[in-house]
Amino acid sequence: MKNIFFITFAISSFSLADSMMHHSHEDTHNSQQHNTEIFVDGNNFGVDQKRFSNFVKNLSGAKVAVISVQGMVCDFCARGIEKTFKKDENVISVDVDLNKGKVLIAYKQESEISYDDIKEKITANGQNATKMEVLDL
Amino acid sequence: MGIRFLTFCLLAILSISVDSRPVSYPGGYTLMTKADNFQNSVYMHYSPTYKYSIGIERKKDKRIEDQYSLLRFTYLVNRKNTHNSQRNLYFQSGFSLDSNDNSFYGIHGDWETRRYFIGFDFKKVESINQIFSEQKYQIGFAPYLGEYGDLHTWIMLKATKNSITDTTSTYPCLKFFKGDNLLELGYNGKSNWDFHFMRRF
Repeated sequence: MKNIFFITFAISSFSLADSMMHHSHEDTHNSQQHNTEIFVDGNNFGVDQKRFSNFVKNLSGAKVAVISVQGMVCDFCARGIEKTFKKDENVISVDVDLNKGKVLIAYKQESEISYDDIKEKITANGQNATKMEVLDL
Repeated sequence: MGIRFLTFCLLAILSISVDSRPVSYPGGYTLMTKADNFQNSVYMHYSPTYKYSIGIERKKDKRIEDQYSLLRFTYLVNRKNTHNSQRNLYFQSGFSLDSNDNSFYGIHGDWETRRYFIGFDFKKVESINQIFSEQKYQIGFAPYLGEYGDLHTWIMLKATKNSITDTTSTYPCLKFFKGDNLLELGYNGKSNWDFHFMRRF
Protein backbone atom coordinates (compact mmCIF):
# COMPACT_ATOMS: atom_id res chain seq x y z
CA MET A 1 0.00 0.00 0.00
CA LYS A 2 2.83 2.37 0.95
CA ASN A 3 4.58 1.50 -2.31
CA ILE A 4 1.49 2.26 -4.40
CA PHE A 5 1.13 5.58 -2.61
CA PHE A 6 4.80 6.36 -3.24
CA ILE A 7 4.56 5.57 -6.98
CA THR A 8 1.34 7.58 -7.40
CA PHE A 9 2.82 10.52 -5.52
CA ALA A 10 6.05 10.45 -7.56
CA ILE A 11 4.26 10.34 -10.92
CA SER A 12 1.83 13.10 -9.88
CA SER A 13 4.72 15.31 -8.80
CA PHE A 14 6.41 14.88 -12.17
CA SER A 15 3.27 15.79 -14.08
CA LEU A 16 2.81 18.88 -11.95
CA ALA A 17 6.43 19.91 -12.48
CA ASP A 18 6.05 19.52 -16.25
CA SER A 19 2.92 21.58 -16.29
CA MET A 20 4.62 24.35 -14.30
CA MET A 21 7.62 24.35 -16.64
CA HIS A 22 5.34 24.63 -19.67
CA HIS A 23 3.87 27.88 -18.35
CA SER A 24 7.27 29.08 -17.27
CA HIS A 25 8.66 28.46 -20.77
CA GLU A 26 5.90 30.50 -22.43
CA ASP A 27 6.72 33.43 -20.19
CA THR A 28 10.46 33.12 -20.78
CA HIS A 29 10.08 32.91 -24.53
CA ASN A 30 8.03 36.10 -24.70
CA SER A 31 10.45 38.06 -22.58
CA GLN A 32 13.57 36.84 -24.37
CA GLN A 33 12.46 37.45 -27.92
CA HIS A 34 13.49 41.08 -27.95
CA ASN A 35 16.88 41.01 -26.33
CA THR A 36 18.83 37.80 -26.90
CA GLU A 37 18.11 36.52 -30.37
CA ILE A 38 20.03 37.50 -33.46
CA PHE A 39 19.01 38.29 -36.97
CA VAL A 40 20.99 37.11 -40.00
CA ASP A 41 19.82 38.43 -43.37
CA GLY A 42 16.57 39.42 -41.71
CA ASN A 43 15.91 35.97 -40.27
CA ASN A 44 15.58 35.41 -36.56
CA PHE A 45 17.73 32.38 -35.73
CA GLY A 46 17.33 32.57 -31.97
CA VAL A 47 20.91 31.59 -31.26
CA ASP A 48 23.55 33.12 -29.08
CA GLN A 49 25.39 35.64 -31.25
CA LYS A 50 28.88 34.94 -29.92
CA ARG A 51 28.45 31.17 -30.17
CA PHE A 52 27.04 31.44 -33.68
CA SER A 53 29.89 33.71 -34.82
CA ASN A 54 32.48 31.27 -33.48
CA PHE A 55 30.75 28.35 -35.14
CA VAL A 56 30.59 29.90 -38.62
CA LYS A 57 34.06 31.49 -38.47
CA ASN A 58 35.71 29.08 -40.93
CA LEU A 59 32.62 27.82 -42.72
CA SER A 60 32.55 30.08 -45.74
CA GLY A 61 30.45 28.50 -48.51
CA ALA A 62 28.68 26.09 -46.17
CA LYS A 63 25.02 25.76 -45.29
CA VAL A 64 24.06 25.96 -41.65
CA ALA A 65 20.89 24.37 -40.31
CA VAL A 66 19.67 25.86 -37.04
CA ILE A 67 17.30 23.44 -35.34
CA SER A 68 15.18 24.09 -32.27
CA VAL A 69 15.16 21.00 -30.07
CA GLN A 70 13.05 20.17 -27.04
CA GLY A 71 14.38 18.02 -24.19
CA MET A 72 18.02 18.95 -24.64
CA VAL A 73 18.56 19.91 -21.02
CA CYS A 74 22.02 18.52 -20.40
CA ASP A 75 25.30 17.74 -22.08
CA PHE A 76 24.53 14.01 -22.01
CA CYS A 77 21.22 14.55 -23.85
CA ALA A 78 22.92 16.45 -26.64
CA ARG A 79 25.91 14.14 -27.00
CA GLY A 80 23.90 11.56 -28.95
CA ILE A 81 22.68 14.20 -31.39
CA GLU A 82 26.22 15.33 -32.11
CA LYS A 83 27.41 11.75 -32.64
CA THR A 84 24.50 10.93 -34.93
CA PHE A 85 25.00 13.89 -37.25
CA LYS A 86 28.78 13.57 -37.32
CA LYS A 87 28.32 10.20 -39.03
CA ASP A 88 26.83 12.02 -42.04
CA GLU A 89 29.61 12.64 -44.58
CA ASN A 90 27.90 15.87 -45.71
CA VAL A 91 28.20 17.36 -42.25
CA ILE A 92 31.24 19.55 -41.61
CA SER A 93 30.64 20.33 -37.95
CA VAL A 94 28.01 20.30 -35.23
CA ASP A 95 27.51 22.57 -32.24
CA VAL A 96 24.93 22.71 -29.49
CA ASP A 97 23.58 25.75 -27.71
CA LEU A 98 22.12 24.33 -24.51
CA ASN A 99 20.91 27.71 -23.27
CA LYS A 100 18.75 28.32 -26.34
CA GLY A 101 17.91 24.70 -27.08
CA LYS A 102 19.47 24.86 -30.56
CA VAL A 103 21.57 22.49 -32.61
CA LEU A 104 23.75 24.02 -35.31
CA ILE A 105 24.77 21.76 -38.18
CA ALA A 106 27.11 22.92 -40.93
CA TYR A 107 26.64 21.07 -44.22
CA LYS A 108 28.71 21.11 -47.40
CA GLN A 109 27.32 23.58 -49.94
CA GLU A 110 26.09 20.91 -52.35
CA SER A 111 24.12 19.04 -49.66
CA GLU A 112 20.39 18.64 -49.73
CA ILE A 113 19.10 19.41 -46.25
CA SER A 114 15.94 17.58 -45.33
CA TYR A 115 14.03 18.75 -42.27
CA ASP A 116 12.13 15.43 -42.15
CA ASP A 117 15.40 13.50 -42.07
CA ILE A 118 16.85 15.73 -39.35
CA LYS A 119 13.63 15.54 -37.35
CA GLU A 120 13.63 11.75 -37.61
CA LYS A 121 17.23 11.51 -36.39
CA ILE A 122 16.57 13.79 -33.43
CA THR A 123 13.40 11.87 -32.53
CA ALA A 124 15.38 8.61 -32.72
CA ASN A 125 17.77 10.14 -30.21
CA GLY A 126 14.95 10.82 -27.76
CA GLN A 127 14.42 14.56 -28.28
CA ASN A 128 11.99 16.55 -30.45
CA ALA A 129 12.88 18.95 -33.25
CA THR A 130 10.30 21.72 -33.52
CA LYS A 131 11.71 24.13 -36.08
CA MET A 132 14.54 24.45 -38.60
CA GLU A 133 16.01 27.33 -40.51
CA VAL A 134 18.82 27.12 -43.05
CA LEU A 135 21.39 29.79 -43.71
CA ASP A 136 23.71 29.93 -46.74
CA LEU A 137 27.06 31.37 -45.73
CA MET B 1 44.98 6.41 3.66
CA GLY B 2 46.27 7.97 0.46
CA ILE B 3 47.04 4.74 -1.41
CA ARG B 4 43.89 3.02 -0.20
CA PHE B 5 41.80 5.99 -1.25
CA LEU B 6 43.47 6.13 -4.67
CA THR B 7 42.93 2.39 -5.13
CA PHE B 8 39.31 2.82 -4.20
CA CYS B 9 38.93 5.68 -6.70
CA LEU B 10 40.56 3.67 -9.49
CA LEU B 11 38.28 0.70 -8.81
CA ALA B 12 35.28 2.96 -8.80
CA ILE B 13 36.33 4.56 -12.07
CA LEU B 14 35.93 1.14 -13.65
CA SER B 15 32.27 1.04 -12.74
CA ILE B 16 29.06 3.16 -13.22
CA SER B 17 26.03 4.88 -11.72
CA VAL B 18 22.92 2.81 -12.06
CA ASP B 19 20.83 5.80 -11.24
CA SER B 20 21.83 8.15 -14.01
CA ARG B 21 20.53 7.81 -17.54
CA PRO B 22 19.77 4.09 -17.58
CA VAL B 23 19.23 4.23 -21.35
CA SER B 24 21.71 5.85 -23.74
CA TYR B 25 21.40 7.16 -27.29
CA PRO B 26 20.82 4.64 -30.11
CA GLY B 27 23.84 2.40 -30.59
CA GLY B 28 25.48 3.69 -27.42
CA TYR B 29 27.34 1.60 -24.88
CA THR B 30 27.53 2.67 -21.27
CA LEU B 31 29.89 1.47 -18.58
CA MET B 32 28.94 2.15 -14.99
CA THR B 33 30.53 1.43 -11.65
CA LYS B 34 29.05 1.91 -8.25
CA ALA B 35 30.52 1.46 -4.79
CA ASP B 36 28.81 2.12 -1.50
CA ASN B 37 28.39 0.41 1.84
CA PHE B 38 25.74 -1.97 0.41
CA GLN B 39 27.35 -3.08 -2.81
CA ASN B 40 30.10 -2.84 -5.42
CA SER B 41 28.98 -3.26 -8.99
CA VAL B 42 30.13 -2.98 -12.57
CA TYR B 43 27.41 -2.63 -15.18
CA MET B 44 27.70 -2.46 -18.96
CA HIS B 45 24.66 -1.82 -21.12
CA TYR B 46 23.83 -1.31 -24.76
CA SER B 47 20.95 0.77 -26.10
CA PRO B 48 19.66 -0.36 -29.53
CA THR B 49 17.24 2.58 -29.40
CA TYR B 50 16.66 5.38 -26.92
CA LYS B 51 13.68 3.39 -25.57
CA TYR B 52 15.52 0.52 -23.92
CA SER B 53 18.83 -0.93 -22.87
CA ILE B 54 20.09 -4.41 -22.12
CA GLY B 55 23.16 -5.14 -20.10
CA ILE B 56 25.07 -7.26 -17.66
CA GLU B 57 25.88 -6.25 -14.13
CA ARG B 58 28.40 -7.96 -11.88
CA LYS B 59 27.54 -7.22 -8.30
CA LYS B 60 28.97 -7.88 -4.87
CA ASP B 61 26.09 -7.52 -2.46
CA LYS B 62 27.47 -6.75 0.98
CA ARG B 63 24.11 -7.18 2.72
CA ILE B 64 23.70 -10.84 1.77
CA GLU B 65 27.42 -11.56 1.37
CA ASP B 66 27.01 -12.78 -2.16
CA GLN B 67 28.46 -12.13 -5.62
CA TYR B 68 26.43 -12.66 -8.74
CA SER B 69 25.77 -11.44 -12.28
CA LEU B 70 22.50 -9.98 -13.48
CA LEU B 71 21.06 -9.73 -16.94
CA ARG B 72 19.34 -6.35 -16.89
CA PHE B 73 16.65 -4.76 -18.99
CA THR B 74 15.55 -1.13 -18.77
CA TYR B 75 12.64 0.32 -20.71
CA LEU B 76 11.71 3.97 -21.10
CA VAL B 77 7.99 3.92 -20.36
CA ASN B 78 7.40 7.60 -20.82
CA ARG B 79 9.36 10.71 -21.72
CA LYS B 80 8.18 14.25 -22.00
CA ASN B 81 10.41 16.86 -23.60
CA THR B 82 9.79 20.57 -23.35
CA HIS B 83 12.01 23.49 -24.27
CA ASN B 84 13.27 23.75 -20.68
CA SER B 85 12.85 20.29 -19.22
CA GLN B 86 12.85 16.56 -19.69
CA ARG B 87 10.93 14.00 -17.66
CA ASN B 88 11.57 10.25 -17.80
CA LEU B 89 9.92 7.21 -16.32
CA TYR B 90 11.70 3.86 -16.67
CA PHE B 91 10.85 0.29 -15.86
CA GLN B 92 13.89 -1.69 -14.77
CA SER B 93 14.44 -5.35 -14.11
CA GLY B 94 17.16 -7.94 -13.78
CA PHE B 95 17.62 -11.58 -13.04
CA SER B 96 20.58 -13.64 -12.02
CA LEU B 97 22.66 -15.53 -14.57
CA ASP B 98 24.18 -17.66 -11.83
CA SER B 99 22.62 -20.58 -10.00
CA ASN B 100 21.14 -18.41 -7.27
CA ASP B 101 17.76 -16.74 -7.67
CA ASN B 102 18.57 -13.07 -7.36
CA SER B 103 16.29 -10.77 -9.29
CA PHE B 104 14.78 -7.32 -9.07
CA TYR B 105 12.25 -5.08 -10.74
CA GLY B 106 11.23 -1.51 -10.19
CA ILE B 107 10.75 1.96 -11.57
CA HIS B 108 13.05 4.90 -11.93
CA GLY B 109 11.95 8.44 -12.68
CA ASP B 110 13.63 11.79 -13.12
CA TRP B 111 12.73 15.30 -14.11
CA GLU B 112 15.31 17.91 -14.86
CA THR B 113 15.89 21.34 -16.23
CA ARG B 114 19.28 22.89 -16.79
CA ARG B 115 19.11 24.18 -13.22
CA TYR B 116 17.10 21.65 -11.18
CA PHE B 117 16.87 17.88 -10.87
CA ILE B 118 14.55 15.54 -8.99
CA GLY B 119 14.59 11.79 -9.21
CA PHE B 120 13.36 8.66 -7.52
CA ASP B 121 14.08 4.97 -7.75
CA PHE B 122 12.12 2.06 -6.37
CA LYS B 123 13.27 -1.56 -6.49
CA LYS B 124 11.93 -4.83 -5.19
CA VAL B 125 14.82 -7.25 -4.75
CA GLU B 126 14.36 -10.99 -4.37
CA SER B 127 17.07 -13.44 -3.44
CA ILE B 128 17.26 -16.91 -1.91
CA ASN B 129 17.68 -15.47 1.55
CA GLN B 130 15.39 -12.51 1.58
CA ILE B 131 13.01 -10.17 -0.19
CA PHE B 132 13.37 -6.48 0.35
CA SER B 133 12.68 -3.12 -1.24
CA GLU B 134 14.90 -0.10 -1.85
CA GLN B 135 13.86 3.48 -2.32
CA LYS B 136 16.05 6.35 -3.44
CA TYR B 137 15.26 10.02 -3.88
CA GLN B 138 17.45 12.77 -5.27
CA ILE B 139 17.05 16.50 -5.57
CA GLY B 140 19.69 18.81 -6.89
CA PHE B 141 20.59 22.06 -8.51
CA ALA B 142 23.35 23.30 -10.76
CA PRO B 143 25.20 26.24 -9.19
CA TYR B 144 26.14 27.51 -12.65
CA LEU B 145 24.98 26.75 -16.19
CA GLY B 146 27.86 25.51 -18.29
CA GLU B 147 28.01 25.53 -22.06
CA TYR B 148 28.08 22.38 -24.17
CA GLY B 149 31.36 20.56 -23.55
CA ASP B 150 32.10 22.36 -20.27
CA LEU B 151 32.40 20.71 -16.89
CA HIS B 152 28.89 20.63 -15.42
CA THR B 153 28.44 20.44 -11.66
CA TRP B 154 25.42 19.45 -9.62
CA ILE B 155 24.91 19.71 -5.88
CA MET B 156 22.56 16.94 -4.83
CA LEU B 157 20.79 15.71 -1.75
CA LYS B 158 20.21 11.98 -1.79
CA ALA B 159 18.03 9.86 0.47
CA THR B 160 18.03 6.07 0.50
CA LYS B 161 15.86 3.64 2.40
CA ASN B 162 15.65 -0.12 2.38
CA SER B 163 13.23 -2.41 4.12
CA ILE B 164 15.94 -4.56 5.74
CA THR B 165 17.20 -1.89 8.08
CA ASP B 166 14.09 0.29 7.79
CA THR B 167 16.27 3.34 8.16
CA THR B 168 16.62 6.34 5.92
CA SER B 169 20.01 7.74 5.10
CA THR B 170 20.16 11.27 3.77
CA TYR B 171 23.39 12.80 2.59
CA PRO B 172 24.81 15.37 0.18
CA CYS B 173 26.62 14.44 -3.00
CA LEU B 174 28.34 16.15 -5.88
CA LYS B 175 27.83 15.16 -9.49
CA PHE B 176 30.18 16.16 -12.28
CA PHE B 177 29.59 15.79 -16.04
CA LYS B 178 32.19 16.36 -18.68
CA GLY B 179 31.79 15.08 -22.21
CA ASP B 180 30.92 11.39 -22.03
CA ASN B 181 31.84 11.04 -18.36
CA LEU B 182 29.92 11.37 -15.15
CA LEU B 183 31.33 11.20 -11.64
CA GLU B 184 29.24 11.23 -8.50
CA LEU B 185 30.57 11.40 -4.96
CA GLY B 186 28.54 11.27 -1.79
CA TYR B 187 29.43 10.89 1.85
CA ASN B 188 27.81 10.56 5.20
CA GLY B 189 29.07 9.39 8.55
CA LYS B 190 27.00 6.20 8.52
CA SER B 191 27.43 4.87 5.02
CA ASN B 192 30.85 6.36 4.23
CA TRP B 193 31.60 6.94 0.55
CA ASP B 194 29.00 6.59 -2.15
CA PHE B 195 30.86 6.60 -5.45
CA HIS B 196 29.54 6.36 -9.02
CA PHE B 197 31.29 6.69 -12.32
CA MET B 198 29.83 6.41 -15.79
CA ARG B 199 31.26 6.55 -19.27
CA ARG B 200 29.43 6.41 -22.58
CA PHE B 201 30.87 5.11 -25.80
